[in-house]
Amino acid sequence: MPRIGVFVCQCGNNISSTVDTAKVAEEMSKLPGVVLTEDYKFMCSSPGQDMLKETVAKNKLDGIVVAACSPHMHEKTFRKAVEKAGLNPYKCEIANIREQCSWVHHDTTKKIGTAKSIDLTRMVLERLKRNKNLTKISIPVNKRALVIGGGIAGIQAAIDIADGGRDVILVEKEPSIGGNMAKLSETFPTMDCSQCIMTPKMVEAELHDRIQLYTYSEVEKLDGYIGNFSVTIRKKARFVNEDLCTGCGDCWNKCPFKADSEFEHGLTKRKLIYTPFPQSVPNIPVIDKERCPKILKDKCGLCEKVCQPEAIDYTQEDEIVVEEVGAIVVATGYNLMDEARFAPYGYGKLKDVINGLQFERLASSSGPTGGEIQRPSDGKVPESIVFIQCVGSRDESKGVSYCSKICCMYTAKHTMLYKHKVHDGQAYVFYMDIRSGGKRYEEFTRRAIEQEGAMYLRGRVSRVYEKNGKLMVQGADTLSGSQVVIEADMVVLATALVSRQGADSLAQKLGIGYDKHKFYSEYHPKLKPVETITGGIFLAGSCVGPMDIPESVSMGSAAASKVQALFSADMLDREPITSKVREETCNACWDCVTACPYVAISKKEIKNRKGEVIRMVANVNDGLCTGCGTCIAACRSKTIDLAGYTDEQVYAALNAF
Amino acid sequence: MSNAKVKAEIVSKEVEGKDAPWEPRITALVCNWCTYAGADLAGTSRMEYRPNVRIIKLPCTGRIDPLFIIKAFEKGADGVLVSGCHPGDCHYNAGNYHARRRWIGFNSLMEFIGIDMKRLHFSWISASEAIKWVDLVNDVTEEVKKLGPFGEYQDINKDGL
Amino acid sequence: MSDLTKIPYYPGCTLNTVAKHFEESAAVSAKTLGFELVELEQWNCCGASFPMSANNTMGLSAPTKVLVEANKAGDTVTTLCSVCYNVLKRTNKVVKDDGEKRRVINDFIEEDYDGGLNVVHYLEILRDTVGFDKVKESVTRSLKGLKIGAYYGCMLLRPFEDMGIDDHEGPTIIEDLLKALGAEPVDFPNKIECCGAHLGAGGKEGEEVVSRLSACVMRSAVGSGAELIVTSCPLCQYNLEESQAEVVKNVAGYSAVPIVYFTQLLGLALGQADEMLSLDKNKWDVRELLKDKEV
Repeated sequence: MPRIGVFVCQCGNNISSTVDTAKVAEEMSKLPGVVLTEDYKFMCSSPGQDMLKETVAKNKLDGIVVAACSPHMHEKTFRKAVEKAGLNPYKCEIANIREQCSWVHHDTTKKIGTAKSIDLTRMVLERLKRNKNLTKISIPVNKRALVIGGGIAGIQAAIDIADGGRDVILVEKEPSIGGNMAKLSETFPTMDCSQCIMTPKMVEAELHDRIQLYTYSEVEKLDGYIGNFSVTIRKKARFVNEDLCTGCGDCWNKCPFKADSEFEHGLTKRKLIYTPFPQSVPNIPVIDKERCPKILKDKCGLCEKVCQPEAIDYTQEDEIVVEEVGAIVVATGYNLMDEARFAPYGYGKLKDVINGLQFERLASSSGPTGGEIQRPSDGKVPESIVFIQCVGSRDESKGVSYCSKICCMYTAKHTMLYKHKVHDGQAYVFYMDIRSGGKRYEEFTRRAIEQEGAMYLRGRVSRVYEKNGKLMVQGADTLSGSQVVIEADMVVLATALVSRQGADSLAQKLGIGYDKHKFYSEYHPKLKPVETITGGIFLAGSCVGPMDIPESVSMGSAAASKVQALFSADMLDREPITSKVREETCNACWDCVTACPYVAISKKEIKNRKGEVIRMVANVNDGLCTGCGTCIAACRSKTIDLAGYTDEQVYAALNAF
Repeated sequence: MSNAKVKAEIVSKEVEGKDAPWEPRITALVCNWCTYAGADLAGTSRMEYRPNVRIIKLPCTGRIDPLFIIKAFEKGADGVLVSGCHPGDCHYNAGNYHARRRWIGFNSLMEFIGIDMKRLHFSWISASEAIKWVDLVNDVTEEVKKLGPFGEYQDINKDGL
Repeated sequence: MSDLTKIPYYPGCTLNTVAKHFEESAAVSAKTLGFELVELEQWNCCGASFPMSANNTMGLSAPTKVLVEANKAGDTVTTLCSVCYNVLKRTNKVVKDDGEKRRVINDFIEEDYDGGLNVVHYLEILRDTVGFDKVKESVTRSLKGLKIGAYYGCMLLRPFEDMGIDDHEGPTIIEDLLKALGAEPVDFPNKIECCGAHLGAGGKEGEEVVSRLSACVMRSAVGSGAELIVTSCPLCQYNLEESQAEVVKNVAGYSAVPIVYFTQLLGLALGQADEMLSLDKNKWDVRELLKDKEV
């Protein structure tokens, strides 16, 4: 026979004004298994808790019900108290007779409140009788982190985690870290040179004792769970031995073949053995295996001949590396929308119609023109440039309902850069709305308009076409209510920021969520903005949605601090509310595997003594299971059950009503 | 009947004795994160609603085995209400979608075994929707009251199969 | 040639009257390519414009009657006029997708139509059913050397989510056809701008709008090097033809170019005689140019 104590709280008169607590206690004392009841003024007070502890110990109670406020208020308090009295904390249950009874039934005759409280307490009591002793789950934490993406957000996260004394693996799919920020000329609103602030960060990441770089590498597979991930990384073949290469540049200087430079967005060429840009980190080239004649048909081989350290290795193959980590930061960044989808603007057809990142390269002192603004078709310095904003953004017909957020600011910056470099030049900007929320942002756009002479036209551009060697930009000026045609030497499109190509397949590998635009989903958009639904995986930067540099950096640091918090303990404590499989009755239908949103259930082999597999059963990973119970309702053979909310407990409560 | 201030005018049979007018018994299966918290908020805001509902807390509506509902009716409930987080807001990401899908399949079974679907209510109530909870309880109570006691199971038990 | 694929065809009001040469040239070309346009037994005006107000269900009943008739003739109906195409295709979509409107319209016209019909433009048949490759093979008189501006107007392409015949901002279907015929399409900025449509019926002011917009189209085409403009819509054809004299008068250095239906060029390339294509019905004759270019 169980020995249960029922403690009814008056909560001053919060409960007792509409519930006869003495009567509730009296009714409970009549039920089997109840050895004592108490009717007490404030159960949560210090004396109340002491009384609880003493009573539990003195009477050797093996379970207690506290009929009081909502378990969301004081369940933890009472469980802690009984634990101190030597009882398993999960043998303490709360009947909610305040929020769900005394406070919502204002009958001062107390008839209604008392009757309902009796029911509620009895139901919880019957449930409690079936409670098992549960122990918090402890998971060891592997204190190494993985950061995916070597742009500014990922670099920041990696450096912060490493500075906190933890080892970090930074995986970048391009040959160099740096991401989109490395391409920028100046940054708004301070107009400091992007490379001047970015390059030191890149070098810091490279030289940090605790950061291991995997460039030209991609995450292929993820196994495990919070604290205990196992990551499979594909190191793509560079055809250059990283240990031998000194980065001298003899190979790319001698390489006779060229292809469009990805880093320069096709504004210039690079060799077939190349680093993306001169400040690349690491400063080790890769061979373009799609084009290199030596790789394709064993012709040339010049780079091997000129390489003094003998670092060139045409036989190199992709290498698969498995790393064990405890936490992951995803910082894969963004792409620009494909401009080919804007036929009327002539991108790709008209050489002098370029996108924002291309303009950044033109304005950058390390860019293809050394920072001089020259139009791509003939190298002429443009006398006028039209900037078109919202190319794709806020355009449902292009599938982009959102604002790309950074374009208003970078377009204003572009007009200034242009003005600073071409004093007589005239910048025109077609905009829908100027969105310059942010510290010193509004002042910045005002400066572009008022002091730097950019002509802002509120309206959309319908088309760009060529006439007599000029680009004709035809659009609406809605403020003057007229159609305008502007002659320009160059047109810059502020194309929408979209999720990184392949973002969805990476999300599927990692088991994190993404929205219809394939931007990654936060656990909670306001209160858990860097967490994902998968424990131990965090987000940073514009893989979540368009954001500017300060935001990306903040988010990188925020993710890093989450990782450090996770790493601050050796073991990770978790509520023991997880699913349990009774292996004897599992018939391996795998409905639970399909139902589980957390991929927490796997198929386990049962072997006989000879080591032969005799059957398969479901197996729950405590690290991944969050205790939602969805699998239990799916289980046909009632094989799987949820600790703390077992079928037996729920039926007991149902039966007691 | 849809205001948060409805006066509770009924008294449980246990207190009033056998002559009291019949009042429906309603079992509520709710999730811990949204609806349970929404019901708590109704209390914190001192709203008032019909006292006929007894809440059973579950981690998620995804945990609800359809047999829970059948068991509730078997044990004398006149109505059952199920409520969880809004679609997309599930604490466990997708549990409520499972519940909804299961519900669709379960509907026809309930009709088949002869339970009037008006006795069964499914809704989404978030932690901030105390008023919605109050209205739901009042409406369900009213509707089930109109239907009268659910006695089919008890009759079977009495008469034997 | 007995086993021609028969395709139900809705002419609309203009194709039997002012745009007779559009219909005739389309019909003879069709036969050369292995299909036959079969005029619906019964038909009425499509309504000539799609009702834009959300609750104007009445305006949808006339086109729905056409669709009902077409549905008796087959599972596809084709049109030549862009406006008819626009009205029928969009009405069909409403009937298909909007249950409430479907009910009201069917109640009113005492029919039971579910929107199952496939409404296609003649151009789509050429592209999707016949195939431009086959068109190219059938060419006996190449239009080589002809620089042609393909003028789309608006009704054929927009609204894009309803029409979907081609990219509404950068269409190429007519250019692709012209290439198959051996001609050299000239891209010009105003190829999808409005010609002024039926504003011309709205008195003096409307006429001015039409002549201004049509002038823009023609100047844009000719300025880009077009020696000839093709249209796919009787209204566009009419507006451009009627406005060209004024452009010639007002714009220094502009000389008139022939404006013809794409089907007339198709017929030419497929080897049909000039008379079969009613080339004399065009206000600005194309035959001179053909001679000059030795086509």
